[in-house]
Amino acid sequence: MPAAIRLRSVTKSYSKGGQTLRVLDELDLDMDAATFYALMGPSGSGKTTLLNLVGGLDQADEGVVQVGDEDLAAMQSSELAEWRSEHVGFVFQGFNLLPVLSARENVELPLLLAPLSRRQRRQQAERALELVGLADRMNHKPRELSGGQEQRVAIARAIATDPQVILADEPTGDLDRDTADAVLEMLRRLNRELHKTILMVTHDPQAATYADKTIHLDKGKLGRIEENATPTGGS
Amino acid sequence: MPWRLLLRNVIGHPLRSSLTVGAVTVAVFLICILQAVTSGLSRSLDATAANRLLVQSAVSLFVNLPLGYQQKLSAVEGVDEICKWQWFGGRYEQDKGGFFAQFAIDPEPFLPSYPEMHVVEGSYDEFIRTRTGCVIGRQLADKYDWKVGDRIPILGTIFTRTDGAPWEFIVNAIYESSSPAFEELQMFFHFAYIDESLEQRGATGPRGSGIFMLKIAEGVDPVSVQSTVDELFENGPQRVQTTTEAEFNRQFISMLGDVPQLLRLIGGAVLFAIFFAVLNTMMLTGRERTRDLGVMKAMGFGDGVTAWLLIGESLLLCTLGAGLAVLLAVLLEEPLADGTAAFIPGFAIDRQTLSLGVGIALFVGVVSGILPGVRAARMTTTRALQEVV
Ligand SMILES: Nc1ncnc2c1ncn2[C@@H]1O[C@H](COP(=O)(O)OP(=O)(O)OP(=O)(O)O)[C@@H](O)[C@H]1O
Ligand SMILES: [Mg+2]
Repeated sequence: MPAAIRLRSVTKSYSKGGQTLRVLDELDLDMDAATFYALMGPSGSGKTTLLNLVGGLDQADEGVVQVGDEDLAAMQSSELAEWRSEHVGFVFQGFNLLPVLSARENVELPLLLAPLSRRQRRQQAERALELVGLADRMNHKPRELSGGQEQRVAIARAIATDPQVILADEPTGDLDRDTADAVLEMLRRLNRELHKTILMVTHDPQAATYADKTIHLDKGKLGRIEENATPTGGS
Repeated sequence: MPWRLLLRNVIGHPLRSSLTVGAVTVAVFLICILQAVTSGLSRSLDATAANRLLVQSAVSLFVNLPLGYQQKLSAVEGVDEICKWQWFGGRYEQDKGGFFAQFAIDPEPFLPSYPEMHVVEGSYDEFIRTRTGCVIGRQLADKYDWKVGDRIPILGTIFTRTDGAPWEFIVNAIYESSSPAFEELQMFFHFAYIDESLEQRGATGPRGSGIFMLKIAEGVDPVSVQSTVDELFENGPQRVQTTTEAEFNRQFISMLGDVPQLLRLIGGAVLFAIFFAVLNTMMLTGRERTRDLGVMKAMGFGDGVTAWLLIGESLLLCTLGAGLAVLLAVLLEEPLADGTAAFIPGFAIDRQTLSLGVGIALFVGVVSGILPGVRAARMTTTRALQEVV
């Protein structure tokens, strides 16, 4: 079941050196299920903060954060952890993978939290790696992979538990154009074929064109939401 | 609990892991050895007999008592047997490094006074009959491959023969000891033989006896005998000091300073050093893993899991170190015991000593893991992910 995301007057502040910084200010946002969103905005505008709230990594000071049927604001941190393990997959900018584990073991890691047998875990991890086209690199360690391959393993790990939502914070930030395009293409396929709801933070306008819609964020306030009429990407 | 990750964290950093394991191995091994020495010393003190008193000069162990004292001592009520003990201090000709103790004693009262001595080869009666005979301990016999009937040349250093030749003793009997206080690395021969040679000017050396051993009769309080003897020679010609065997051994050991206390201090220092070494490694490891642990928390792993990963790693490294140390101790026990037998008769790495070493390693492992573990558990996911590695 694809999940929609709903934010209502969400406020998040950080106190730094006695000063309170209001990063998100009474933010309202509705995101449709099974849709690929790009989130853009200047540095420090609160993109990562927003992503963390939606992913249940952090909690809002005020307001409602609803993902699927769950109201994250009502949850304890241990409940949030359990919820994350089933419902969200994360892809971060760099250093996603544990260096001591092979690609397959990295993908298997989140599956340890699911009620699966050893064999099932292994099969599911291998399937995810096949999906991102890295079946032949399963036993490689992260340092034996290129940056693009590493991000594809990270994507495989994010989808291994079959979550409804995938959150990606600048997943192509460290990659060159061609490699970035391959990773973005992969995300778009996950959305098209597996109907994942995807929220991807990016600074790159070209990367944003892979998404269905682009959300603009500025100084904690929501800007316009662009519809990418014919998402093409690449060229 | 992702056990495989725990294992991979250890294997994935081979240099760091092996250095830590090596340090723990050395430390635990050292602590085991120190403990074996201390308990060996105290075991040999505990094993001493309460019914034997040693009479020596009140001045020093190196001053001999006149032989005439023997008669007076044997007249003291409650004294069952009396036997001279004279340190011979000779050198075995072929002997390059090791040293062993030789004593001139009175064969007849000697055997009944030391029931822990069991003659296993040859004949003690033969020894009593043979003026130039000797009795040697099993370990000594094994060390030099001496058999009953062998003639052993011993070069005197305190008692030298006027012809410059070494003394020669025939092995009449070999004994084994059932007490750690009575070493098997000793040689005993006739006091009378040495004394006779001095008398006939066949040899030169001090007259008298360093020690008279008194065996107290059953049912007699050694303390009363002790004070009677001390009073007997109160007015000279030479005052004596009478001690129990245990007290004597303790004094002998303390001639080297308070050895057990010193060993305990060294052991403590080793313990502290290893604790800080492991703690430091684990703190660095925890810091280095911050990002990894943040990623795991984002996936939904609980705070406890991240803490246990670090505690488990620390414990695993220390357990490996302790295991190697135990192996090393077990393998080296015999050569070490042989090498130190002359100085530390009771040296033995027993199960208790090994458990102490392993216990210390486990303690160091847990405590060194807890600090970075608690830090990892407390860290919020968002902050951990912000960490730039
Ligand atoms: N844990 C924190 N404590 C204090 N301030 C924080 C914390 N996390 C973020 N901030 C501040 O909140 C603001 C928004 O941060 P956020 O990371 O959401 O921005 P961003 O849009 O992701 O920026 P960038 O594009 O640089 O990643 C910044 O000013 C940042 O300094
Ligand atoms: Mg950011």
